[in-house]
Parts: sequence; structure tokens; C-alpha cells
Amino acid sequence: MEHVFDLLIRRIWLSLLVLVGVSVLIFLIARVIPGDPARIALGPNATDEQVFKLRGELHLDEPIWKQYGYFARDLVHGDLGTSLYTNRPVVEDIIQFLPATLELVIAAGILMVLIGLPLGIISAKYEGRFLDNLIRVIALLGVSAPSFVWAVILMLLFAFFLPLFPIAGRIDTDYDIVRTTGFLLIDTLLMGNLEAFTNALWHLFLPAFALALSGIGQAARLTRANMTETYRKPYIEMADSYGFPKWRIARKYAFKPSLIPSLTIIGLDFAAMLGNAFLVEAIFAWPGLSRYGVAVILRKDLNAIIGTVLIISAAFLIANLVVDLLIAILNPRIRHGR
Amino acid sequence: MKNLTLEIIRLSLTFEGLMETNQVLHEISLNIAPKEKVALVGESGSGKSVTARLILGLLQSRAKTKIQGAIRFEGQEFGWITEKERDQLRGTRMSMIFQDPVSALNPVYNIETQFHEVLRRKYPLITRRQVRKEAIKILEDVHIVHPERVLKSFPFQLSGGMNQRVMIAMGLINKPTLLIADEPGTALDVTVQDQTLHLMQEMVAKRETSVFLISHNLGVVREFSDRLYVIYQGRIVEEGKTEDVFADPRHPYTKALLAAVPGITSGNTIADVINDTSAFRAPKEVH
Repeated sequence: MEHVFDLLIRRIWLSLLVLVGVSVLIFLIARVIPGDPARIALGPNATDEQVFKLRGELHLDEPIWKQYGYFARDLVHGDLGTSLYTNRPVVEDIIQFLPATLELVIAAGILMVLIGLPLGIISAKYEGRFLDNLIRVIALLGVSAPSFVWAVILMLLFAFFLPLFPIAGRIDTDYDIVRTTGFLLIDTLLMGNLEAFTNALWHLFLPAFALALSGIGQAARLTRANMTETYRKPYIEMADSYGFPKWRIARKYAFKPSLIPSLTIIGLDFAAMLGNAFLVEAIFAWPGLSRYGVAVILRKDLNAIIGTVLIISAAFLIANLVVDLLIAILNPRIRHGR
Repeated sequence: MKNLTLEIIRLSLTFEGLMETNQVLHEISLNIAPKEKVALVGESGSGKSVTARLILGLLQSRAKTKIQGAIRFEGQEFGWITEKERDQLRGTRMSMIFQDPVSALNPVYNIETQFHEVLRRKYPLITRRQVRKEAIKILEDVHIVHPERVLKSFPFQLSGGMNQRVMIAMGLINKPTLLIADEPGTALDVTVQDQTLHLMQEMVAKRETSVFLISHNLGVVREFSDRLYVIYQGRIVEEGKTEDVFADPRHPYTKALLAAVPGITSGNTIADVINDTSAFRAPKEVH
């Protein structure tokens, strides 16, 4: 297991390096785009003196490498500056909006694993039969339509025509939630309010499912492809020739080696969902970070843009790190450093 | 003719495709007595491996596969027992070792886990400790010096020869009455292949296991088997005691096969004789 530990340390260093790179890049891009942030922040009625004063406060009149220096110094202290749009520290904004997005994306990720992988296994086990073809059609549908299309369709079907699920929001307004973590599912549990918990879960299901659908399709297709390939390997024939039970062969012998590439894709999908979440968040009126991100981009709120991108990059890197770690644990060749 | 380990009577196998049917085996008959080492010799595509898989009962439940004739294992006729009873025989009363041990062992489990799976076939409630004990015992039998270390290893961490030994040990740990060896060690180099044969010989002699050896390699067959069958295009064309067949091959295909053995003196290849195909259809020769 020490290889896994070494791997972890190495990957954490690399991730930090990537994060620094991202911060430089996004900082440069934010400064290079035309338009004066100070002017935008103050509005059209501000005088030139006011704008000049704010430029000075924001260090906008200094060379760009110096500006990055200020930015990096503040970043280390956990300060991402003030949002020109909400007039609050960006960190506070992020803390407010991030949990909603994470809750959505994590739920979608769980759905992806819990639905996508079993569909792939079933498909591979009944290769060429009816069930397989059915699952492949469903998976293809999931992959080929973008998540916002699914969001609208699901909302129409299961919230409007058939009012099984709530149309929008994270929870009904008549619950008073004490905010501790920002994750409604956790906060309601901490309050011991099971009814609110169920209500939040109910609100979460449709958007998470819409977001997860393409990932579910991809995971199912990839798992199926890998498993059918694994089924042709000599060690499967060997297991069969020793008469191991069929379901055991499927689960232990065919699935585990096939899981490795599936996990890689799930990890990437998971990270990509952080970005894709925006449209789903918009459709379901989900007060998350992706919506915040788009709002601040449209208003050219530079500090907030930089903060949002950094947070999403960090989440991306963490998701990849977790997947790499899981793969290392699953694959003895990596675990034993070969 | 009593108590044969394996008896195959006029076994035919046909794969039915969409447009055409392909008969792979034509009424082959063969038998293996207890403790006997019997070889089935032929070129690739002659139906050797398919025969092995039929004996194991691996093809019977496949769609579009027509099987005629009878397979009797220790007096139990496959046609009479249920599928479940037949599956029960696999891995317990008969087992198989494969051509390439490195790819036939599962890459993501260590050797001990794989022994556990095999032993569980015969003793469903076996504990890890018992598995270790049994596995170490049999690994010592196949002359592995550090069995504990091997048990903790994964196949890719062991050499081809080591994997081959592990595979033989796995094949024999449940004390089957029949061991099927499909081109054992062909994927390995010649010296390891030779070791493999000697090891198998030693192991089955001790355990009184019958062996059904499938090979295209006449050197291997001559050294290993008591009796042999020559199979050509799904038909058994010659059978007899190994030394008899080698001393006096009668069927033209057998002669061609023997002449094709690469040697310093012989420059023949099988292509020289294959032009005369009519002779290859000659009736079966029995010594």
C-alpha cells in the first residue's frame, strides 16, 4: 500500500502545481479582456476621479505581474477580494453557493455509479439479447441529448404533467433550515428534521437525474464494452472451466478488471458536471455556484470570476485525484508499482 | 472395459450459423482408463480444443450448437444427468490447465484468492486458513520454494514457469480424476515446457489422475502419453499405443505429421504431403 501513498503525495503536489498554473492563466485572461472593471463596478454615472481612485485601490494601475503578486498573497490568506457585483467578499459568495452545486453534482455522480455501472453489467451479461439492446438504446439516448434537454423533458413529464416531483428549488420554503454546512441533506439531518430531509431529497432527484443521464449512458456503454472484451479473456474461460458460478464470474472476474476504465470516465464526467450544472441549475432554479458563475461573467465581475474558476478547477482536480486513487487501489499493477 | 474415466462415443458437433452449418467433429470416439495418459494430436483447427470443452460441458448450453453422440464421465452419461449435475463435475472431478498460464490466471487477484475460489468448488465452506494450508502443501509438491510468498503474489509478478506450476497445482488441488491439459506450456519457452511435462507426470502419477493431453507437438506427446489419438479435420484417423504409432504410422496424415517434425535431418514440411488429399480420407487405423 505504500505505493498508493507515494502516488497520492505525488499527485497532490502535481495538482497544486496545476492549480497555480490555472490561477496565473485565469488571472491573465481576466486582466487582458477589454473593459475597465473599475468603470463597470461604479456604473455609468461615476466621475473619472472616482474611477481613478478605485483603480488605485484595486491596483489596476500597476504592472500585471505585481497585480498577480497581490492576488497570490491574498489567495494564500484565503481572500479572493470583493465581488464588484454583490459587494461581498467572493469567498463568502462561494461558501454560500458552492454547497448547493456540490450537493447536486455529488448526487448525480452517485446516480451515475448506481445506475450506469449495473446497466453496463447487465448489458454485457446478456450480450446480443433483447435486454442488452434495450439498455444500449437507452444509454445512447442518454449520451446523445445534452443534460439541459433532459432537464426540460424530465421537468415537463414528472413535475408538470405528472406532478410527482417539485418543479424547482432545493426545498419547500416553509422549512426553517439552520445552515451549518450548506448541504441541505446534511443540515436537515443535523437538525433531526427527517421531513425536511425527505423534502430536500425529493427536490434534488430530478435535477440530479437530468445532470447524470449522459454520464449514466456513458458509464453503461463503457462498462459494457469493457466487460464484453473481458469476457473473451482466457482467465474467464479458466474460471468457467472450473465451474465457478456464472454471477460470481460476472461480478468478481469480469467486472472488476473492467471497472478501471469506467472509473476513469466517471471521474472525468463527474468533474465536467460541475460546469454542465449551470443549465440544469438555471432550469430548476437551483441556487448553485454555476449560476453564480454565469451571473458574474455577464457582469464582468473579475474577482468573482477568478474565484469561481479556481474553485471549479480545484474540484476538478480533487475528483481526478480520488479516481486515480481508486484505480490504484483496484489495479494491483499500479498498487505494486509495476 | 469397465470403469472408464472417460468414454466418448460417436460424438459429433455442429455449429449452426445463419447461412451455413459447420460440422467440427465427425463421430469421434475415444476413451481414457483410470490413471491413463491419453493424447489427442492434431493441427490447429482439427477440433482438439473443442473436444476438451465438450468434455468439460462448456459448449452444451450454447445456442446454435448441435451435439450428437455420448460423453460418459465415470459412467455418468452427460445426456442423462441434469445440467446442474454436469456443471458440478467441473473443477471438482475434472479440471483443465491452459496453454498460457500467465493470461489464464486472473490479473487482479492474488494466487491465494484464486486457490480459494478453486477450493470453494469442492469445499464451499472452506476457511482462509485451510485454503492457505492446502495451497502451501500443493505448491510444495510442485517444487515451489517459497509457497507463502507465491500465495501473496499476483500472476504478473511471477515468471511464466512459476505461473505454470501454480496452474498445475490449481488443476490438481481438488484431486480430480481427469485432468485436461490443453497445449500445456506452449506459450512458454521449450525448457519450461519440458519442466512442465515432467512436473505433470510426477504429479499425476502420485495422485493417480487420468490425463487428457491435447497437443500439436509430437515430441511432447511421445514423451508424455501412454496412448494417442490422431485427429484430422474433425475425424479421428488413427489411434494406438504411443510407441506403436510412432514406430509404424499407418494413416497418411499421421505419417505426414511425423515427417513434419522439424529436425536437423528432415527437411520435409507438411505441405509436401497435403497435396494428396484423397489419401487423408483413408479409414481409421487402429494398432
